[in-house]
Amino acid sequence: MNEHSRILEREKVDIAETLREADLRLPAVLPRESYPIEPVTPDARQQTRAIGQRATRADGRLHGLGQTKYIDDLSFPGMLYARIKRAGIASARIKRIDTSAAEAMPGVMAVLTGKEIPVNSFGPSFQDQPVLVDDLVFHAGDGVAAVAAVTEQIANEALEKIVVEYEPLPAVFDPIEAMRDDAHKVHAPNSNIYATKVIRKGDVDKGFAESDHIFEGRFSTQMIEHVSLEPHAAIADWDANGRLTAYATIGRITLARSDMARTLKLPMSRIRIVGTVVGGNFGGKNEITQEPALALLSKKAGRPVKGVFTRGEEFTSTTTRHPIVMDYKTGVTKNGRILARQIRLVLDGGAYCSWSETTLGKACILSPGPYKIDNVLAEAFVVYTNKTMTGAMRGFGAPQVCFAYESHMDDIATALKMDPLEIRLLNAFDEGSPSPTGQVLHSVVVKETLRKAADRFGWEPRS
Amino acid sequence: MKKRGRGIACMWYPIGFTVSANPSAATVKVNEDGTATVLTGTVETGQGSLTVLAQIAAEALGIATDDVHVVSADTDTTPMDTGAIASRTTYVTGNAIWLAAEAAKAILFETAAPMLGVKVSQLEAKDRKIQVKNFPQRNVSIGEVAYRSQVVLGHPAIGSASWNPPTVAMDPETGQGKPFATYVYATQIAEVDVDDETGEVEVLRIAAAHDCGTAINPMLVEGQVEGGISMGLGMALQEEMLFDANGRLINPNLTNYIMPTSLDMPELHVDIVQGFDPTGPFGAKGVGEPTAVPTAAAILNAIHDAVGVRVTALPATAEKVLAAIKAKRAAEQPKQIPA
Repeated sequence: MNEHSRILEREKVDIAETLREADLRLPAVLPRESYPIEPVTPDARQQTRAIGQRATRADGRLHGLGQTKYIDDLSFPGMLYARIKRAGIASARIKRIDTSAAEAMPGVMAVLTGKEIPVNSFGPSFQDQPVLVDDLVFHAGDGVAAVAAVTEQIANEALEKIVVEYEPLPAVFDPIEAMRDDAHKVHAPNSNIYATKVIRKGDVDKGFAESDHIFEGRFSTQMIEHVSLEPHAAIADWDANGRLTAYATIGRITLARSDMARTLKLPMSRIRIVGTVVGGNFGGKNEITQEPALALLSKKAGRPVKGVFTRGEEFTSTTTRHPIVMDYKTGVTKNGRILARQIRLVLDGGAYCSWSETTLGKACILSPGPYKIDNVLAEAFVVYTNKTMTGAMRGFGAPQVCFAYESHMDDIATALKMDPLEIRLLNAFDEGSPSPTGQVLHSVVVKETLRKAADRFGWEPRS
Repeated sequence: MKKRGRGIACMWYPIGFTVSANPSAATVKVNEDGTATVLTGTVETGQGSLTVLAQIAAEALGIATDDVHVVSADTDTTPMDTGAIASRTTYVTGNAIWLAAEAAKAILFETAAPMLGVKVSQLEAKDRKIQVKNFPQRNVSIGEVAYRSQVVLGHPAIGSASWNPPTVAMDPETGQGKPFATYVYATQIAEVDVDDETGEVEVLRIAAAHDCGTAINPMLVEGQVEGGISMGLGMALQEEMLFDANGRLINPNLTNYIMPTSLDMPELHVDIVQGFDPTGPFGAKGVGEPTAVPTAAAILNAIHDAVGVRVTALPATAEKVLAAIKAKRAAEQPKQIPA
């Protein structure tokens, strides 16, 4: 018997047996069992040449034994549960919010609306996102009020008792339509186009004039949710000195603290953010969501407050991947060498900026692909629509533009009767190649990856 | 009938923020027994970054991964960090930890040099010892040196450092500049079966070759690639948030928003193309996000190769693929002139 199976044997607990034997007047509990604290230490973690080792993760064992504590596993004495009422309408003016019936419910300890938030806006580039909306609803997933109650069930019932009267407003959902001058302005009086980016290198007109063939294509992608296993979750707790601790499943505690300081108008020294083990991020947990609301509910109620988003809220009320409409025009020689490429990207930014400005920049810079092209013109726009906000998601626009430039590349190869691998090797960056922004690239191995993958796949040119 | 096709896609992807500062700071404390504690403000988001960061500190100090404990993600106790974003943890936080470990090691060397009767410049840290370069018989254990530093000399071996990737602002008119310190590269090749009667696509296998500079932990790199491919697969074929005419989401649940499961995963062949980036910690760059970048493009090119249709709007659902096949057939039919 090896060490691993010995441990499995030692930890084996017969749950049915335990329940049968338990005194039924007491809650059924598992028998006392000491933690198996001797770590299984495979050799890789013991090597003193640590780099390059296939070292197992220190937290892997805790995950395997169910000992990892996520937000949902944490509890504090007297803790309340928060829920947020969602607008359910994409564009509207709030005429009236009546929270009195909810506040009167037994078990409801605090109710919060947007007007009570000291500085009701946040965002990494532009602070255009409210914690809970004030007067205007910008997308259906917006929060309009929050409740803290002794149980989640009571908090849910209290949401039903909050009455909100809306005056519906015009809305715009299509990013191309949103660019028109006569389109509904999501954040009037500002233009819906809230950020742009241009990359200009060489002379595309000259490049097209010198090309033997010109190819054009339009590609588009969809809105995608990160779907982390663990939803957005946090606990807010104050001490008697007025110091706030927020436990949150978030990838950026430094930014979270400055966002909390801004929205709550508190000095940073009075805020502590503890980042708990994050059960999946993929870009979706790079900024605060409900944390300021939980902090204010906690302050009102004088109790710790926990908030955990439902799966539905994960879709309607957190950031998602940008849909992008991508127009490509490429001029090539008859031998398949790319001379010029012109690109226009329109990113659907949703209701708030979030990480859109970053996504816009990365998508635009990467959009010509990993290829040596002397003449490039790439223009990118991100526009507001009355939909769930788009933000950071694994790749920041790169999977979208890669789909476009690589589909386009194969269309060119097909038309020129070239092997897809060959046309890529012909155009790919080398060590020291200039990027579309004029940067001299180092540690460039794109051709090595092409050859390695082709070798592993068994790629043979077809006659 | 099922038609088989293959598709290739390569990509480039930057590490860190676009131009703007995204520093990391770190503290490395060598304990009196020669083990170490790392303080970092980054967060473990499931990718295994804390293990990689422990490996970087261990390598710099000449000790084992298991000798290093990483404390992370508490604004009261850990130094600032821009966080788990932009595939930057190994590269940026890793560099900060490397520099902090070197600063702690410099204190150990100061203590060890007179113990071994040599100059500081002659020392190296290896195998939990501080030893003389090219004369390893002359050595003393790191624990002994750390104890002497802290308890006898009163100079504990603690190092702190920060690092920010060097960039050059982009010209607002032309976009010319150096927005990122470094980039990684990758290629994925997919093989698919497309049923030309139903439009259904099955991804059979994917060969993925990824660059991450030095692979600090090849197992965790492979894990990232496998996870990235599953996200790319969902983007290629299945996942899509759909809105009604009033802007309300109609599928905010996992019954109607279809993600790939383990049963949808193809056979994967992951290769790490070993490189070395002199600007990264021990030559490392990063790998998190780029793994999800080329998958959808490779699968769509394979569909094109299999049935000759180009789906230009993701996801390539069976309905969309079938509609494209039917449109292609209709276009190929000779025009019937009514009698």
